[in-house]
Amino acid sequence: MIEAVKILLIEPSYIIKEGLRSALGRLNLSFRIDEVDEVKENLVLTLEKFTPRIVFANHRALETKWAGNRSAAVFDEVLLVGMYNEKVTLFEMARYDEVLCIEENKQQIISSLQNILKKAGLLSNESETENLSEREREVLRFVALGLTNNEIAERLFISTFTVMTHRKNITRKLGIKTVSGLTVYAILNKIIESGEVNVF
Amino acid sequence: MLINEEMKMAEVIHLNHHLLHVINRFGIQLGYGEKTVKQLCAEHELPLPFFLEIVNTFHDPSYFPVDAMLRFDAALLIRYLQQTHAYYLEFRIPEIEQYITRLTTDESWDEAVKRLIRDFFHQYVFELTQHIKREEDRVYPYVLALAHYLETGQGEKELVESLMHYSIQEYENEHDDVESKLFDLKNIIIKYIPRPKDSRILNLILHELFELEDDLHNHSHIENMILVPIVERMEKEFFALTRNGRHD
Repeated sequence: MIEAVKILLIEPSYIIKEGLRSALGRLNLSFRIDEVDEVKENLVLTLEKFTPRIVFANHRALETKWAGNRSAAVFDEVLLVGMYNEKVTLFEMARYDEVLCIEENKQQIISSLQNILKKAGLLSNESETENLSEREREVLRFVALGLTNNEIAERLFISTFTVMTHRKNITRKLGIKTVSGLTVYAILNKIIESGEVNVF
Repeated sequence: MLINEEMKMAEVIHLNHHLLHVINRFGIQLGYGEKTVKQLCAEHELPLPFFLEIVNTFHDPSYFPVDAMLRFDAALLIRYLQQTHAYYLEFRIPEIEQYITRLTTDESWDEAVKRLIRDFFHQYVFELTQHIKREEDRVYPYVLALAHYLETGQGEKELVESLMHYSIQEYENEHDDVESKLFDLKNIIIKYIPRPKDSRILNLILHELFELEDDLHNHSHIENMILVPIVERMEKEFFALTRNGRHD
């Protein structure tokens, strides 16, 4: 994954916070963590403030502030991971998307985290530097030449939506986000000639 | 370990030398002797809590500014942010520029590759400069006018006018674009440059780019975590005042 995943950690224990941070650091994931000891107002406000992709929450720090209602729009994009210990029944954890037992050992914690992130599509099995497919090279060529998504769709007889999917995959595979960055890549890799395009 | 007022400034630097630039921006230069953070802040007439918040936000990415920062003086914060901008434009960028020039005069490099890197970097600098200019021309004067009004009750009409064109929430969204280009430049150099005979000069450029990226990231962190909440607090007060006041 290229973009840093925003993570919110709701947990009062310093040791658990640092522990989770260190465990996440062992995965092939780039992330940014915001931390709060507890949810002071309501959970929706906290989520709106930090806009995380994943929340790791201590069940005890959350239970009185949130009854499990997920109707607010802000929940749509969030993966809620409840952290529990042996004193909590799994029944209580049903409100979370995923659960993480904090009493597991190092290997177990890391593999639980890997499973959770893979299921959410945040950790891929593939290596980061896959080669571009033939179609992706074509799309890249047109992007570098300055065509819009619509124009590319017309030329290749595919939908604009498919063009956007290709572009996402190109960016993911190459680690290049901007059009001018992709243009430089295309020139360096002889996908286009520098004479073909007025680069900057 | 967080930075506290009793620490000697020299210890602070031994703990984290990346803070040197930040401390410089407050006007505190090297040659600290045995002075503590508290003593140096007093000498430079800097409010201690403000200094500590900024430095700790930089020092520890997980550090969360205390609620008291909502009461910080907006003018002070803006002066600091302007110093940071000046540091980027007058120091950091010209430094990278020098390395780029060294690269472009190195005969062992392919002309086309050199030109691509140089042009891409210049385009990035242009966009960064535009972004900074927008902040300094639009955002900061607005924040200062807001603070001025809350303090003196003057300038309400102009404020209402600029509010119609701008609100601090938009500002939060503007940050990501410039970051992408820097990210791309790093990746192009790391992954896609045709393998050079000697990559030492590129190593230097990369090192600088990573440092710049870290610094910019911290800078926008401070803007989002400290400036934005302060302005939101002031906007609330402003609306409350005008709603209850004679305009109702």
